[in-house]
Amino acid sequence: MLAELAQQIINGLTIGGIYSLMALGLTVVYGILGIAHFAHGSFAMLGGYVIFFFFKKFGLSFFMATALAMPLGVVFGIMIERFAYRPVRDAPPINSFIIALGLTMIIEGANLLMFGADQIVIPTTYHGVINIGPVAIVELRLYVVITTIVLILAMTAFINRTSTGMAVRAVAQNRSAAILMGIDVNRIPMIIFAVSSALGIAAGAFVGSLFAISPGVGEGLVVKGFAVLILGGLGSIPGAIIGGIVLGVSETLAAGFISSSYKDVIAFLVMIFVMLFRPEGLLGRAQR
Amino acid sequence: MSTAFTKFKMTSISIMLIALTGLIFSNGVQAKEKELVVGVSDTLTGGGATYGMPQMNAIQLAVDDINSGGGVKVSNDIYKLKVIAYDDQANPTEATNSVRKLIDRDGVKYILGFCCSPSTSAVASFIGRENAVMLVGNAAERTITTRGLTNLFRTRPPADYSGTAAGTFVATKGVKRLGVIGALDIAFYALYLEAFEREFLKTGGQIIAKETFSLKDRDMTPQLTKVRAMNPDALLVIGYIEPAAFVYRQSIELGMNVQRFGFTSGNEEQFLTVATSEQMEGVWDLRPTELTLEALKDNAKVYHKVYTDKFGKTPAPMSPYAYDQVYVLKHALEKAGTVDDTKKVIAEISKSPVPAEAIMKYLPIEGKMFDKNGQAYTSNSAFQWQKGKWRYIADLPSDPAAYSVYLHSLRN
Repeated sequence: MLAELAQQIINGLTIGGIYSLMALGLTVVYGILGIAHFAHGSFAMLGGYVIFFFFKKFGLSFFMATALAMPLGVVFGIMIERFAYRPVRDAPPINSFIIALGLTMIIEGANLLMFGADQIVIPTTYHGVINIGPVAIVELRLYVVITTIVLILAMTAFINRTSTGMAVRAVAQNRSAAILMGIDVNRIPMIIFAVSSALGIAAGAFVGSLFAISPGVGEGLVVKGFAVLILGGLGSIPGAIIGGIVLGVSETLAAGFISSSYKDVIAFLVMIFVMLFRPEGLLGRAQR
Repeated sequence: MSTAFTKFKMTSISIMLIALTGLIFSNGVQAKEKELVVGVSDTLTGGGATYGMPQMNAIQLAVDDINSGGGVKVSNDIYKLKVIAYDDQANPTEATNSVRKLIDRDGVKYILGFCCSPSTSAVASFIGRENAVMLVGNAAERTITTRGLTNLFRTRPPADYSGTAAGTFVATKGVKRLGVIGALDIAFYALYLEAFEREFLKTGGQIIAKETFSLKDRDMTPQLTKVRAMNPDALLVIGYIEPAAFVYRQSIELGMNVQRFGFTSGNEEQFLTVATSEQMEGVWDLRPTELTLEALKDNAKVYHKVYTDKFGKTPAPMSPYAYDQVYVLKHALEKAGTVDDTKKVIAEISKSPVPAEAIMKYLPIEGKMFDKNGQAYTSNSAFQWQKGKWRYIADLPSDPAAYSVYLHSLRN
């Protein structure tokens, strides 16, 4: 029983890590810019296909292809901000919501045109298994968790320890004051979208290698991402990390100990339960 | 001069008359070339596309073959076939919309494809009221051919027809404690398991776990971890190719060193997209014989080659269900001598033998391809993954005549 529980938690941590990565990309955009970037899931999907293309076309290894695709995500994120969201920055929030939906459709359509409708699994060479007693840790899953941790740490360091990160936090806290302090508030949203998109690409890579990527998969990813966002607290980076892990592990435990048919239901019940007692989310700040 | 001129005139007129007569005569005898639009409703995107796209390709291949071979000769006309295809996304609502569009907007009378049971069942629920013929391919839910519909024919046998044979086979492999993981929320997989279980329990075997996954699931480690804790001596995987391939991959990753049996119908390429050959080694697939080069006639080899050349990938084993549909329709149209009178075409399909061009190994009932339920039957076989390939090991005992009677008794 204990071994089974340990195995289930290990299984859930990988899923939780991917959810955290998805939610991080969403939380920085929502927390700092107030935009519900629904196209993030489709962008992760596109990232998975791009990495698969790099593998097929140039024979790049999984991590090399991911490392190459993430800068592309940065460029794409900047373009999204500059040409899609910035023109409606001062308009009512419904405008950016519609832009997000439109972007989702554009990305899904473009993806179909470029890569077709086939489902893909990004091949890797990490098929080994590390056995610790009765608990099996799959090599690829371990690398995914480690890479996720590295990305989360890098992002946290960027936000907390760099001058650009400080400017980002300043804009998040008080945009008008940030302008008065000489911060270029046009540059900050670009940086936010660049970081968010790069994380989205990484999430797409992990989903594509561990599981599979197909047209429409972004929808499910973004729903889970927003669920984590709400669970962890809107705009909270530590909340996104904790929320992702809580959601991933509770899904896995539900599937393992109750029924896989109800795993989504149970995961969302956990979310509702948290909301009842902490409406601001696990690590969110209460609104005054 | 005048006589010569008159002679010239007469000769010219005679030549013109002969030419004209020849032209009229040839027009009267030579068949006119027309176009017959056939509809395809199938799953072209999403998880079910692993079945739907190979079916779509197979239909296109058969249509191209027929057109390049001169078309369909119906009475005095030659028809070239044209395909209009819609994506049903394996979704009942989308499938209903697709078929309604084909019938109402495109004026199509012959609809092919139908790889997935939920979407196919939705169409079967209303097709009986339409002036159309529905030819079902891979969708294996039993109830599709228990509705007593005269205008619906299915080339693939129902899932429980194969489940019975599989249950007996697994017991012969010494399995006593079996863990089942599959798409058990889907009726035809549940039916396969029901028939399997009935036979398996007779031998003293025990099913210790029944775990479910959905079409979209790709992480089956929670279910497998649970089954692993129960110490089974074999695993039965029932479901769509990709989730099943993930089960095979993840069972090895979790260190489950047990016999693995399945009911999936995928080709090597489809499984290798998800799992390595080492992770697949030793897996059994217990299913209709389908496209098995070792077990079928030479035309299966030709089909395999032409399909691979045309589409750049090997055909899924179930894809000929759709290919064969086209030839069933071709011969029925030719014999009926009409493309408009669907009743005549239906009558011809009902009494048609297995077409010579058919790829699958059908087991006719009273000399006909389809029984009185509109159902065709193939043999069942056991395949095993050995060194990167599905190897045909043996035919499984199958009794289509008895099953046909049973199926008829279920009519609603």
